[in-house]
Amino acid sequence: MMSFLRQYPKRFFWVAFFIGLAVSLVLDVLWLRSDILHYHFPFQYVPQFFAIFGLLGCMLLILIAKGMGYFISKDEDYYEKDSRRQV
Amino acid sequence: MTEWIHPGVVIFLGAFLIPWIKWRTVRLAYLLLLPLIGLTLLLLMSSGYFGQIPAWPGALHKWQIPFLDYSLELGRIDKMTMVFAYIYLIAAFCMNLYALGVKNKWEHVAAMIYLGSSLGAIFAGDLFTLFFWLEIMSWAPVFLIWFRGTRKAMGAAIRYVLWHHFSGACILAGVVIHLYHTGSIELTRLPWGWGGEYLGYNLMLLGFIINSATTPFHSWLSDTYSEATPSGSIYMTAFTTKTAIYCLIRTFPGVELLMWLGAIQAVFALFLAVLENDGRRLCSYHIISQIGYMVAGVGIGTEMAINGAISHALCHIIYNALLYMGAGCVLVVVGTAKFHELGGLYKYMPISFWLYMVGGFSISGFPLFNGFISKVMTIEAAELIHNAPIYLLLEGATVGTFLHTGLKLPWNMWLQGRDEPPPNIRAKLKDSALNTPVHMLIGMSILAFLCIFMGVYPKILYDHLPYPVEFIPFTTTRVFSIMQMFIFTFLGFWFLRKLVAGYPTYTLDTDWPFRMAGRKLIWFCEEPLMGFARFMDRKVMEVVDLIVWISKNPAAAFEIKKKEMLLAGHQRRLAKSGSIDLCRQSLEEEKRKYPGELPGLTLGASIILILFSFLLYLALYLFAIP
Repeated sequence: MMSFLRQYPKRFFWVAFFIGLAVSLVLDVLWLRSDILHYHFPFQYVPQFFAIFGLLGCMLLILIAKGMGYFISKDEDYYEKDSRRQV
Repeated sequence: MTEWIHPGVVIFLGAFLIPWIKWRTVRLAYLLLLPLIGLTLLLLMSSGYFGQIPAWPGALHKWQIPFLDYSLELGRIDKMTMVFAYIYLIAAFCMNLYALGVKNKWEHVAAMIYLGSSLGAIFAGDLFTLFFWLEIMSWAPVFLIWFRGTRKAMGAAIRYVLWHHFSGACILAGVVIHLYHTGSIELTRLPWGWGGEYLGYNLMLLGFIINSATTPFHSWLSDTYSEATPSGSIYMTAFTTKTAIYCLIRTFPGVELLMWLGAIQAVFALFLAVLENDGRRLCSYHIISQIGYMVAGVGIGTEMAINGAISHALCHIIYNALLYMGAGCVLVVVGTAKFHELGGLYKYMPISFWLYMVGGFSISGFPLFNGFISKVMTIEAAELIHNAPIYLLLEGATVGTFLHTGLKLPWNMWLQGRDEPPPNIRAKLKDSALNTPVHMLIGMSILAFLCIFMGVYPKILYDHLPYPVEFIPFTTTRVFSIMQMFIFTFLGFWFLRKLVAGYPTYTLDTDWPFRMAGRKLIWFCEEPLMGFARFMDRKVMEVVDLIVWISKNPAAAFEIKKKEMLLAGHQRRLAKSGSIDLCRQSLEEEKRKYPGELPGLTLGASIILILFSFLLYLALYLFAIP
C-alpha cells in the first residue's frame, strides 16, 4: 500500500477520491432511510442535497465570477497607468 | 495579590527598546521574548495572582485612572478578554519567529507597537481608552506597508490611513454623541436602530464595520494586505479586523443588519477571489469571507452565535496567519506570488506546501481541523434560528472557501500539473527541497500544530469561551454532509480548473467609486482650480505692477495714461487726418523717457503732504476701526 502510494501518488489519489465519492452517495441514501441524519431544514433531506450543493455551488461560483470578470477584470496597472506623476 | 501589569503596555513600551539593542542575536531573542512576557502575565492573571476573574459577564477592573470628570479603565479583565489576549500572544510569538529574517529592525518595532496597541484595545474598559488604542492601531501597520518600499505600497498605505482615520473619526463622533446623551463612557452593549436618536450608535457601528472590513467597506483589506511586506502582512491579518470584531461583540451583539451583511459578504468576497491572480490578494478575500461568518454570528446574537463568532475569530487568526505565511514563503523565496508566473514549486518547497495545506483544510472547515469546530457553531446558530437564506449563504461560502484556499491557490502556486517551475522561477531556487528559511517553517509548524490540536481537541477552546458550550461539533450528520460537499466541490473544480488559472489581471472592487472620485478631485484641484488661481495671481500682479509704475512719477504717468485714452478715443479721426503715426511716436517717446525727471517738491509742500497722510491715518483710526 505505502509503496504503491509512493510510486503512483496521482493514481492513488484518484482511486481514493472516487471510492470516497461512491461511498458518500451510497451512505446518503442508506442513512436518510434509516433516520441517522438529523437536519434542521426540509430541503436538506432532499437525496444527495449536499452533493448537488457542492458541485453546483462550486461551478456556479466560478462561472458567475467569470461573467463578472467581463466587467471588472482590468489590466494589472489599471490604477497606475493614467496617473501622470511619476515618483 | 499585587498590582496588575498591563501586557499590552509592556509590549508597547518594550517595542521602543528594539532599535537600541546593538547585537542582532540579542535583538532577535528579545523580539521572541516580548510575547512570552505577555503570555507569562496572562498565565499569572489566569491563576488568580492579580485577583480572581469572576464568571462571565463579571470582570476584574484594574488601572482605573481619573481623567477630567471620568474614570478611564485600562484593564477590564473577563473571560472574553483573556481568550482573545491568549490567542493574540501565541499567534504573535509564531509571527515573530517567522519574521526573524527581516533585516529592517524598524519593521519589528512597528509590529510590536501594533501588537501592544491591539492588546490595549482588548483590555480597554471604556470607550475613550478603546479609541486611543484603536488610533495607534491605525498607524502602526502603515509602516509595515511602507517598508515594502514599492510605489504601490506607498499608495496603499495612504489609502489604509485614510480609511482608518475615517472610521476612527466615526467612532469618536459616536462616542461623543453617546457621552452627551448618557454621560457614560463605559464600553458595554449599546442600543441600535434606525432614526435620528440613534445617529451616534450608527456612526460607531459604521466605524467598527469599516475596521472589520465588512461589505461594502472591505476593499481596503485586499488592497493593503497584499502590498505589505511578506512578514508585516501576517501581523496585519490578525489584529485589526479581529479587534473590530471584538468591539462589535462588546457593543452591538444581535443587530440584525450585521447578520445579513456578514452572510452576504461571506459569499461576495468569494466571487472576487475567483478572478484573483495574486496569492496574497486571494487570501485577503478569504479573510473578508471568513469575517463574514463572525459578523453574521454577532448579528445572530444568540449565546451560541456569539461563542461561534469568538471562536471563529480566534481560530481564524491562527489558520489565516498560516495561509499568509505559506503565500509569503513563496513571495520571499521566488519574489512573486502571482499565479500566472508560478506552478510546479512542490518539488522545491514541499514542507511549506503541506503546512499551507493544513491552513487550507482548516479555513475550509475539514473535520479535525480548527476551522471546523468554530465554523459549524455559527452555521448551527443560523440553523437554530431557522433562517434558511443565512444558512445557505454561510454553507455556500464553505464550498467557495475550499475551492479557493484548498484547491485553487495550492494548485496554481505549487502544482499546476507540472513537475518543474517556469525557468525564470527555477533560476531563483536552490536544488534542495528546503528553499524556505527554517525559522519560517518553525513558525508555521507551531501554528499548524495548533490548527490540528484545536481541531482534534476543541474543549481547550470551548472551555475558555464566555458562554457555556454544550455543543458537540463531531456529529455524523455534520461530518458526513461537509465531507460529501467537499468531494463534489473538488469534482466541480477539476472540471473547471482551466477557468480558475491565474491571468494577469486586476479585479475592481467596491473602492472603485472612491478611488475614481478621489482621482477626479485631484484633477479638479490641479486643473480648473489651479488654473483659476494662476489667472487670479496674474491679474493681481498686473495691478501691483501698474501701481508700482505709477508711483514712480504719478504726474507723468497720468499724463501718459490720458494721452493713451485720447488716442484710443480719437483713433478714427486721427487716422483720417493722417497724424496718428506721429501721435503714437510721441507717446512711445514719452513712455521710453518715463519716469524722466521727477518734479521737485518744496519743503513746505512735502510737510503738508506728510501731515495730510497722518490725518488720513487718524481718521482711519477713529472711524473706520470700531
